[in-house]
Amino acid sequence: MVGIFAGLKWHLVTSRLRAAGGAKKAWMIVGFIAALVVLGFVAFGLGSLRALPLDAVPLMVTLLTLQLVGWVLTPLLAFGVDETVDPQRFALLPIRPPTLQRGLLLTSLIGYLPAANMIVLLGVACALSVPWSLFPVAVACMIVQMLLCVVLSRAASTSMSALMSSRRGRDLGMAVGLVIFLLYMAFVIFVNSPGSREPSGNGQAIRSGVFNVADVLQWTPPGALATLPGFVAAGQWGRAAVAAVIALAALALAWWWWDNALQRSLTTVPSSTEGSSPSHGAQDTAVAVGVAGTMKVVAGRDRVLAWRDPMRRMPWLMVLVLTIAWPFVVVRGQGAVFAVAFGALLCGAQAGNQYGVEGSGLWLHLQTITDRVRARGEVLGHAVVALVPGMVIVLVGVAVQAVARDDLGHVPAALGACLAALFGAVATSTYLSSVMPYAQPQSRKSAFVSSVPGQKGRSFVAGIGFLIGGLVVALPTAVCVLLSLLVDPVWGWVALVVGPVTGLIALAIVVQLTANRFLQNGPEIFEIVRAGDRV
Amino acid sequence: MVNPNTSGDGSSPTGTALPAYPGAQDLIAATHGQALVLRGLTKAFGPKVAVDHIDLDVPVGSFFGLVGPNGAGKTTTLSMVTGLLRPDGGRAIVAGVDVWADPAAAKARMGVLPEGLRLFERLSGPELLSYLGRLRGMPLDVVRQRSAELIRVLDLQDAGNKLVADYSTGMRKKITLAAALLHSPSVLLLDEPLEAVDPVSARIIRSVLTQYTHAGGTVVFSSHVMALVEGLCTHVAVMAGGRIIAAGELAQVRGGAASLDDAFMHLVGASDMQEGGLSWLGSSPA
Repeated sequence: MVGIFAGLKWHLVTSRLRAAGGAKKAWMIVGFIAALVVLGFVAFGLGSLRALPLDAVPLMVTLLTLQLVGWVLTPLLAFGVDETVDPQRFALLPIRPPTLQRGLLLTSLIGYLPAANMIVLLGVACALSVPWSLFPVAVACMIVQMLLCVVLSRAASTSMSALMSSRRGRDLGMAVGLVIFLLYMAFVIFVNSPGSREPSGNGQAIRSGVFNVADVLQWTPPGALATLPGFVAAGQWGRAAVAAVIALAALALAWWWWDNALQRSLTTVPSSTEGSSPSHGAQDTAVAVGVAGTMKVVAGRDRVLAWRDPMRRMPWLMVLVLTIAWPFVVVRGQGAVFAVAFGALLCGAQAGNQYGVEGSGLWLHLQTITDRVRARGEVLGHAVVALVPGMVIVLVGVAVQAVARDDLGHVPAALGACLAALFGAVATSTYLSSVMPYAQPQSRKSAFVSSVPGQKGRSFVAGIGFLIGGLVVALPTAVCVLLSLLVDPVWGWVALVVGPVTGLIALAIVVQLTANRFLQNGPEIFEIVRAGDRV
Repeated sequence: MVNPNTSGDGSSPTGTALPAYPGAQDLIAATHGQALVLRGLTKAFGPKVAVDHIDLDVPVGSFFGLVGPNGAGKTTTLSMVTGLLRPDGGRAIVAGVDVWADPAAAKARMGVLPEGLRLFERLSGPELLSYLGRLRGMPLDVVRQRSAELIRVLDLQDAGNKLVADYSTGMRKKITLAAALLHSPSVLLLDEPLEAVDPVSARIIRSVLTQYTHAGGTVVFSSHVMALVEGLCTHVAVMAGGRIIAAGELAQVRGGAASLDDAFMHLVGASDMQEGGLSWLGSSPA
């Protein structure tokens, strides 16, 4: 029975390769070989750290802990990547839970990701085998680490499977994605901050940080596994035994948790809708009379959805953090106000793919938005919902940088550049949403999937296009900014006028073009974007 | 009355590339009294012809069932009539307006309930109705009064402010029907409105639709449940393989057959399961 599971997983893993023909197959094989070579280098690099045993052990402690955390969190972020993750799929098969659990363990070990992990772990084993006679011990530790990763990941995903099949659970998954992004930003800023004891961005600072962290982490199961070979080599048998008990007890506990979760998930039906948060009955009173009326109606709905729908809300939170925090990371001292313009471009991109974001729900707009006035109002409504918060974020970003870096002199020029970039990106994104629409996955099973198979090229063009378009619209303003820096600061005030004016002109042109295109090609746009329902 | 041109082969009378039917204005004048008129409507997806030059007339005030097996072309036909899918050729005229020549006027006269499409999932039912009504430019108090009444009649009051994303299948069909009725259209185009709907919701939907036709509205709906069509419809068209193989008043299409189901099986050329197979059923499990 366990063999059948292994065969099934192997079939799933190789299905894309088998389905591919000729040239595509060759490219996939080239890709695999390239990935193998890269992984080989990574493993070799890790292995060569054995020359520095003092650095190697703390580093491996951190690495193995991160690996375990990654395995546990992945199913929450990208539920549904692996068909065998959802135990409900096996609920109707006549299989006893212990057999199912062993079979699922084996399937979890077969795949590209586990294979890559095993190669990396082999490198870790080499790094920890000082002297080489310890290699068998290190390999045994890495096998336990791999099993720990898989079993704990499965236990967590099985416990969450009921939750993740509900709308609320998937919303939560997107929130977790944001938390990880925020932690990453905080880490980058912390490591780079001039306030830390060591000079910023210095290798020594990172090294001492890792050492401190590893001190604590060595008492966790992956940390124990990384330190165990060292204790054996030093003859510290007591410490070695404690490390072994920590690791094996964790594995046993994880196995028991998985067993429990599996039994429960096979015998209970997930409640998918109970406990979902209701709306609070938004009371909008605008009526679609004329362009302005339609704009108000559409913008009112978009504003409500931006709060309620994590797929719309999360990008805004990320943009907010990037616009305000990112300039601290990339630019030192004065001039950081200009780095806010990058955040302004990203704010503008929130107006992008305005038809695709609806999925097949776009049919409601196809039925109701049928004339020029309403089509223009709709386009403008979507644009306003990107412009208003975008302007607030950009203003705050510029203000924060100007005050923090004592750089008030550059504010007019920076603000002009930011507004030009924001309006330019909104205009370009709006236009691209009609000429280069792409389907957005509507199932929200993964926080990191932004396009559907077969439309990666479209989403890529749309993603690059807004940057280029935004920069083109901002070009006149950029010239004024340059003049303000090189010739006379008064040009900064010119930039502050030129930026919004060029942006508004671009937007006015684009609203007409986009509305006309929607009216002419509505059914074709609908055909493209409704593919988002399938993913 | 049903169009006499509706024929088994589904081709236009002359068989030439040029449309053999009158121009839109003449056609509209000639088909006065019809809620929906299709002439030579065609759609192909690559080599597969999904809808093959179909002609159809649906009289005003009729309860019209479009039946056929899966893959017959019902959804493709309705998508072309509702303006969601561009036809390769032919005309669709709804309430005297050519859908693809004047979509704005046509869409104002039709209410649509498509199959398998999402709504604005993160709005509640009342919010969805309010949004769509206001987007159509209807006065605020009319929108409020009608949506409250639709929600009451369709028994969606208990849902309160629940988001559409959390609605059951029956509730989704009902709120979509409410959205289709909100602007008081003269023709309703419904794709599988009772598919996977619980009996209570199904009964409510049926009675609302019947009331709508009694008030002079026209309902065109697709289904593959023959008993339902037989119980509800005044007229029926049978589709198979992208063509209309029979159309007319219910009794006329049923002919001498005992039920519409039997007539349908005969029309589409399907036969009952062969006897003698599956003899192992009921033996001990393997």
